[in-house]
Amino acid sequence: MNHRSLAFRLAVWYALLLSCTFALVGTGMFYGLEQYLRATVRDSLRRRTVQVEQILQQAPEGASNDAIAAAINTRVAPEFNNRFVRVTRAPTTPVYLAGAPADHSFDPAAVPPERNTWPTKTVVRPVATPMGQLMISATPIETVSGRYLIELGTALGPIEAVQRRLLNLLGLMLPVLVVCAAGGGYLLVHWALRPVERMSQTAAHISVQDLDARLPVAATGDALQRLSISLNHMLARLSDSMQTSRRFLADASHELRTPLTVIKGILQEIAGNESASSEVRERVGSVLEEVARLEHLVSGLLVLSRLDAGDAQRESVEVNLGELTASTVEQMRLVAEDRGIELQPSALAPVMVRGDRGRLKQVIVNLLDNAIKFTPRGGLVSLRTQQRDGYGMLEVIDNGIGIPASALPHVFDRFYRVDEARSRAEGGAGLGLSIVRSICVAHGAEIEVDSVVGSGSCFRLKFPLPARIVGFPAAPLPERTAPIRDPSPIRPT
Amino acid sequence: MRLLIIEDDPKLADFVARGLRAERFAVDVAGDGLEGQRHLDAYQYDLLILDLMLPKLGGGELLKRVRRAHSTLPVLVLTARDATEDKVRHFEAGADDYLTKPFDYAELIVRVKALLRRAPVERTDVLRIGNLELNRLTQQVRRGDQRIDLTAKEFAVLEYLMSSAGRVFSRTMILEHVWDQSFEGVTNIVDVYVRYLRRKVDDPFAVKLIHTVRGVGYCVREAVQE
Repeated sequence: MNHRSLAFRLAVWYALLLSCTFALVGTGMFYGLEQYLRATVRDSLRRRTVQVEQILQQAPEGASNDAIAAAINTRVAPEFNNRFVRVTRAPTTPVYLAGAPADHSFDPAAVPPERNTWPTKTVVRPVATPMGQLMISATPIETVSGRYLIELGTALGPIEAVQRRLLNLLGLMLPVLVVCAAGGGYLLVHWALRPVERMSQTAAHISVQDLDARLPVAATGDALQRLSISLNHMLARLSDSMQTSRRFLADASHELRTPLTVIKGILQEIAGNESASSEVRERVGSVLEEVARLEHLVSGLLVLSRLDAGDAQRESVEVNLGELTASTVEQMRLVAEDRGIELQPSALAPVMVRGDRGRLKQVIVNLLDNAIKFTPRGGLVSLRTQQRDGYGMLEVIDNGIGIPASALPHVFDRFYRVDEARSRAEGGAGLGLSIVRSICVAHGAEIEVDSVVGSGSCFRLKFPLPARIVGFPAAPLPERTAPIRDPSPIRPT
Repeated sequence: MRLLIIEDDPKLADFVARGLRAERFAVDVAGDGLEGQRHLDAYQYDLLILDLMLPKLGGGELLKRVRRAHSTLPVLVLTARDATEDKVRHFEAGADDYLTKPFDYAELIVRVKALLRRAPVERTDVLRIGNLELNRLTQQVRRGDQRIDLTAKEFAVLEYLMSSAGRVFSRTMILEHVWDQSFEGVTNIVDVYVRYLRRKVDDPFAVKLIHTVRGVGYCVREAVQE
């Protein structure tokens, strides 16, 4: 479970809030009930006291203790009612002591005498006995036959039992309630977030190449619906502006081509005209070299704009990456040797991937070209293809000048050059690697670059393997295979 | 031989016409689709060079009309759009060949001649320039009585350069002929191969046959006038 997720945090808050509320209500209930029960006991003690008082008041002067006891036994029936009754005549003559109660909740003989030997008014207090607490009210009265102290009591045991049961009930209910609140809260939030989840899933599939998709609108009539609608509006604006910029790129490249043709044609005419002086032809040749660079740049831009428009994968056929690399290396070998660099196709295992053969070759050519450009004389560029971790991998490793860490995130950006002067001298337009990236993205391939300045770089392409590997039954089929990407539909810019 | 160029950019039309006239063709130029249509209706042409983006009447529409009226007239299409699907569409509409701007002047001439079946069609088995001899059948190259060993790619480059003596071939033309589009503009691969060719074909001999025309490309010819 994600500890920072909204659902988890809300569930914890629900649980905390509910347990606090429950604890407050529980405490209130517990003490409220105690107060109520004790008040009821006091009330009943007072009524009994009044009965005993009446007996004593009505008793004739000189009435025997036995007669009083008999009257109390008859009218109050303390044993039967589980009450403690003790009557003492001033100063300390015991007149009456009730017998053991029917429920044996206390032992009357063990109840200690009144602490405050002769109170002036009714005193109610709990008294501890070996068998439990008693609530005892002591009332002094004056009669014609003398002064008496009436002590009436009842065991607090039943009240405590009720309180214990309440406590048990509360203690049992609290965890159940907390679990219910937390779980319910978690589920509720999950349920409430489902439209958001759907929106995020759709959004994850929207790439720069595919801005036509829209998020599902959650018909909730609240902030969620407004959010999905405004996100869709934002997507529409984004898509518009992307399309405008792509169209601009394509149009600009097209528009540049006609004047370029004229410039190039007329200059070539002069350069090839043998009646012109060699100095003029030399100068025109120099201009023509610049025209060629411009031409290269324009065609690179056009290639990129076409790749943007979904032309990066025109076909989807099974291509043996190892074989394609081997044949491309052979074609590039002389160029590398010319610069004193050895190409080493060291480990080219057959790896079948699905894609556009021409485009994949372009990727290998561009990577090789890049490695050759940035490796000094005497260097080594090695190439490896292999099947690993469920990917078809192509690695181009050089021991050249390397790329500084700060430049690594940008090497695939258009027109990005690590070393402005050096790249320009090599005639690079800064588009080769961004073409590589566009093609890789269209093929669902990942690109990784490791580089150490001064000791070289490694470009690693990871292609998803087709679910079925034709022609190489010996190769172990990995458990995890990525779904084959359909060839992207060709859309005009 | 009479050619019609329908191209709205006057400078482009002008230099293409000039080059073709230098090759002894009669050339007419039309600046838009309607004017082109009038020319086509009035005269008999041997070849049509057609830009696709034209004012008044688009090149695509004109191409369809041409195919209906003059089914055998060869059409060379000029366009700035080089996407594969564009090419396919225009070949389907009846273009015979296709040239993408910015094209090389030399390539235009080669294509025009090829369409007029006047090009280096006579495919001889042995090409000879000076004392350099290339045998297409045996894949052997000799200079004088000395045999020269070439790799397959070196052979292909030399064969292409020798296919038309004295003609300048641009790097792009050589690249597209010998390699494929993957290498376009990426490397100096053509220069490297020509350098290796020179080392084998020219360096041991006093008379140089492979020449560089700066900014344009390479050619093979016997004597230099300079």
